[in-house]
Amino acid sequence: MSFLEIMHGIYQGFGVTAVVTILGVLYAIPFALLAGVLQHYSIGIYRLGITAVIEFWRSSPAIVLLYAFYYSLPAFGVYLSGIAVGAMVLGLNIGGYGSQSVRAALQALDRGQCQAGLALGLSRFDVLRFIELPQAIAAMIPTFINQAIQLIKGTSLVSLITLADMTFHAKLISERSYNPVGIYSGLLLAYLMICYPVTILGRHLERSARKDGGAREF
Amino acid sequence: MGALVNFDVAFAIRIAPLVLEGVGHTILVALLSFFAATIIGFFWEMLRRSYWLMRPITQFIIDAIRSTPLLVQIYFLFFVLPYYGVTLPALFVGVFGLSIYYSGYISEVFKAGIDAVPVGQSEAAQSLGLNSRDTVVFVIMPQMLRNIAAPLGSYLISILKSTPLLAVIAVPEMQGSAFDVAAETYRYAEPMFVTEVLFLILALIAVALVTGLERHLGLSTPFH
Repeated sequence: MSFLEIMHGIYQGFGVTAVVTILGVLYAIPFALLAGVLQHYSIGIYRLGITAVIEFWRSSPAIVLLYAFYYSLPAFGVYLSGIAVGAMVLGLNIGGYGSQSVRAALQALDRGQCQAGLALGLSRFDVLRFIELPQAIAAMIPTFINQAIQLIKGTSLVSLITLADMTFHAKLISERSYNPVGIYSGLLLAYLMICYPVTILGRHLERSARKDGGAREF
Repeated sequence: MGALVNFDVAFAIRIAPLVLEGVGHTILVALLSFFAATIIGFFWEMLRRSYWLMRPITQFIIDAIRSTPLLVQIYFLFFVLPYYGVTLPALFVGVFGLSIYYSGYISEVFKAGIDAVPVGQSEAAQSLGLNSRDTVVFVIMPQMLRNIAAPLGSYLISILKSTPLLAVIAVPEMQGSAFDVAAETYRYAEPMFVTEVLFLILALIAVALVTGLERHLGLSTPFH
């Protein structure tokens, strides 16, 4: 098999990789924002509860979560497709990390911002919506880009729950023809071509954010 | 409703010790990979600073390592090394893969740690007559160690959480033990669920240990 044929075979799985990534982002961003904001503003037992949820998703390895949900949910009578489980688990795992950057960005804001908003007669929710979140989100963007790369790379794990993504197709090809060097170099190259531009973008944003005296990397 | 739930709690508790048999390998792999990744990461950073032409080359290598999935890197090593006649035990291939992958991240930790030492420190050392090696060893390094300890701690936890990936190349760590149990009993729900619970506990213990160590050293980093 020529190298071009290998690359063509690997990119047969691009659709699944892309779908899992996009669905994962749709889980990750709302979860990160909601959990981060709730963790920052809640106190006592509520804070303990939201922290437990975040830690469950964040402290467990993605692959272990993936296997646990894929194999254990049917035992509880919940039948979901592989794509649904993969996107949910990877998305909420990355979202758990994201929630910590949301919380940290909110904590880093000057308290005067909130006090000025309240003094102007805005409600607490309006202060959050119009004053705190816009500034926090601007500070979080470089971190979110880095987490997006983690998500794209994480989608290679769904090949282990039999979804036909790029990694899965590479393994299919390797069963048909013995050329490990070509196939696995091709697979590395396939992911590199997707993630490398995002890595460069992330670093660029991080550097300009640091120059503005703004965000730290969390 | 009861018929829908097919989760045998007694069976789950019974197999927990079997899954836990892999914990020794999990911790061993994590520690070995952490030390190797730190050494390789330091090597990348020294290479990046060594000579102007090495900077973009090393930077590309680091970015390439960080832009490809760990799973794919492990497959690459596991299938390509034997092709060239290098046959290593799976455990070493796994440690090798983990340390290469995390060396890319740890090199950035060293970079930030060194950059955070004020330029005046090395200038002062030079004006006092220290040569460049002594400046690095006695002035820059001790201050850098303080800066890197906390981020290195969080990468140790990340590495611990990446070890279950090595089950795909049959390293007998906890996820691998869980698959052994599943293959013997034809039940997957309980072993996978038990592994999740055990790994969560292990990770939380590791976070507590690293946080405790940081507090003991007087470092402040609330993030992992």
